[in-house]
Amino acid sequence: MNIADVLASLESSHLADRIRNSLFLFPLIESFHVIGLTMVFGTTVIIDLRLLGIASTRRPFRRVASDVLKWIWAAFGLTGMTGLLMFITNAGVYYHNFYFRSKMALLALAGINMVIFELTAGRSVHQWDKDVRAPVSARTAAALSLLLWITIIFLGRWIGFTTTRAASKTDSDINIEELFPKSP
Amino acid sequence: MFQFAEWLSQTSLSLTIQTHEWIIPTIQSIHIVAIGVVLASVFMIDLRILGWAGRDQSLLQTTDRFGPWLSAALCVQLVTGILMVIGEPARELLAFSFWLKMCLVTIGTVVAGVFQIMLRRNEHDWEKSRARRRSIKSLAIVTFLMWLGVVILGRLIAYDHVWGKWSLSPKA
Repeated sequence: MNIADVLASLESSHLADRIRNSLFLFPLIESFHVIGLTMVFGTTVIIDLRLLGIASTRRPFRRVASDVLKWIWAAFGLTGMTGLLMFITNAGVYYHNFYFRSKMALLALAGINMVIFELTAGRSVHQWDKDVRAPVSARTAAALSLLLWITIIFLGRWIGFTTTRAASKTDSDINIEELFPKSP
Repeated sequence: MFQFAEWLSQTSLSLTIQTHEWIIPTIQSIHIVAIGVVLASVFMIDLRILGWAGRDQSLLQTTDRFGPWLSAALCVQLVTGILMVIGEPARELLAFSFWLKMCLVTIGTVVAGVFQIMLRRNEHDWEKSRARRRSIKSLAIVTFLMWLGVVILGRLIAYDHVWGKWSLSPKA
């Protein structure tokens, strides 16, 4: 079974059909995708700013991190689930979309960045936990994380503008010219 | 509103935004980045009120940490939001989701502002009695749900047909 078959079977699944044929399911799923991703981003920023020595600096890093980590993962789960649901409604188009592919690549990079942080600075956290600024490697990871997540948000928005969904309205289909025809 | 939207769509700033395809997605992306900061800031303050996070910090220390970020992000929201209305007047101003969202944003901002002022006036007032603690906790949950509603309605502006006849948009 090659990838084209997988994409085609996802697209023709009962679930994908339900979402495509519903007036409100796709918009609702997309809304919850935005809630998930903004929560992932906003709470990740809290950790990154702490590492960079910009905010929450009076609290130990581990305290700041433990306040938000479980919420980041919960929000990430919501974002992934809703993302997958949107993906199956038009799998072939998303799969070949440049912005979608770039976004997936950057998501992978964000994951690798996090693993490297855990394996390097994360290992010696007890030494710098209370420092205002984390070690260079941790600050680099934090800056990279901010950059990656902001770019991921931009790419995500671009996916919406560059893919057309079979049965649901797209963002760009409201045409100002049509709404306000110029008087002859 | 139709006339106003039509007039706005003919202004030079609106025409500039309309003719450059990259401007709207860019403004929308910045708007989403900023709502992330808004949502997370409200979330952290509300978690502190509920006692689920930041218990080593007083509530005032928590609002001192997140309040300025919340205000700054709301300013970014306002500016990018206005630009989106100017760029796509009909899409925004004729959408039921837009006006409902504006109501929730106003209530959310006023509640956050008033709460901040009251907290500065008397830091420990809110935890003086069990009844008061309980009502502040309920307020925290309600306002957070309201901000989630703001995000949902913001996305639904693109799909105003979901509101059926409540939408002013001729496309609905």
